[in-house]
Amino acid sequence: MAAELEDLKRIWQDLKTQVDELAGERQQYLDFFEQSPEAYIVTDNAGTIEQANGAAVDILQRRRAFLRGKPFTVLVALDQRNAFRRQLAALGAEGSWRTIIEAWESRTEVALTARRIAANRGICWRLQASS
Amino acid sequence: MTTVGAVRELMLKRLETELADSDAKRDLEMALEEIDVMWEELQGQAALLVRENERYAEFFEFAPDAYLITDAGGKIREANQVALELLKAPREQVVGATLSEYIAEADRVPFLTRTVGLLLGAAKPMAWQTRLQPLEGEGFVAEFSVRAIPLKKSGVGGLCWLIRAAS
Repeated sequence: MAAELEDLKRIWQDLKTQVDELAGERQQYLDFFEQSPEAYIVTDNAGTIEQANGAAVDILQRRRAFLRGKPFTVLVALDQRNAFRRQLAALGAEGSWRTIIEAWESRTEVALTARRIAANRGICWRLQASS
Repeated sequence: MTTVGAVRELMLKRLETELADSDAKRDLEMALEEIDVMWEELQGQAALLVRENERYAEFFEFAPDAYLITDAGGKIREANQVALELLKAPREQVVGATLSEYIAEADRVPFLTRTVGLLLGAAKPMAWQTRLQPLEGEGFVAEFSVRAIPLKKSGVGGLCWLIRAAS
């Protein structure tokens, strides 16, 4: 029975090491994304928000839980939405344009830079408030 | 990854033949059952981390800014797409090189002095301008923003560099 127990211990230890390494990797990504002074969001190809970092939350003035799963378009001021949709539909590998984010009756002019993730896996956005 | 299950089966089989005491047998069976549940949990945790890391890795790679991650000695560990475009060099050449190789020679000493200062000082982000020398073509002034970041696996302190051509 001792041999089997040794096997069990080794197999377990291998997976545990793997999990620890993955968790270390995740911590680096979290630090990279969340603590960036730049405002970033990640959406799918249709513009549905998957992730927004702290700096983006500050610009968008919405809670993170609200943002997740929402179309980016709903954050754009009404009078800018058609233009935004056109730009998004025409986006190639990368692009940048300006738009206005509206929250709680305050309008923020924002410079957007979008870059497509390979294999059509979504879009990475940078937001820069101009005022 | 069915190995834990296989080992467990083997142990159960040997239990049948070797252990006469039924109480001890039941205890062991229960312990093995518990191990099985914990194993499933650990596997689930690993699978979730793999998925999350894949998504974050995609964001790092396709972020709309140039990013490099170096160790404390300035050796480049990771570079994203925009960074490779900025340095005009293939990944094989960038990863493993030291960042100062891409700094114009006249700016290298002040660049290294600042980096050492950063490593000795506070972890707050800092930014400065310096001349970047890509692998090909003319050098240009770029703004470097740097902050501390844990390195993958080891978790020891590394540096995350955001590089932008100065306008």
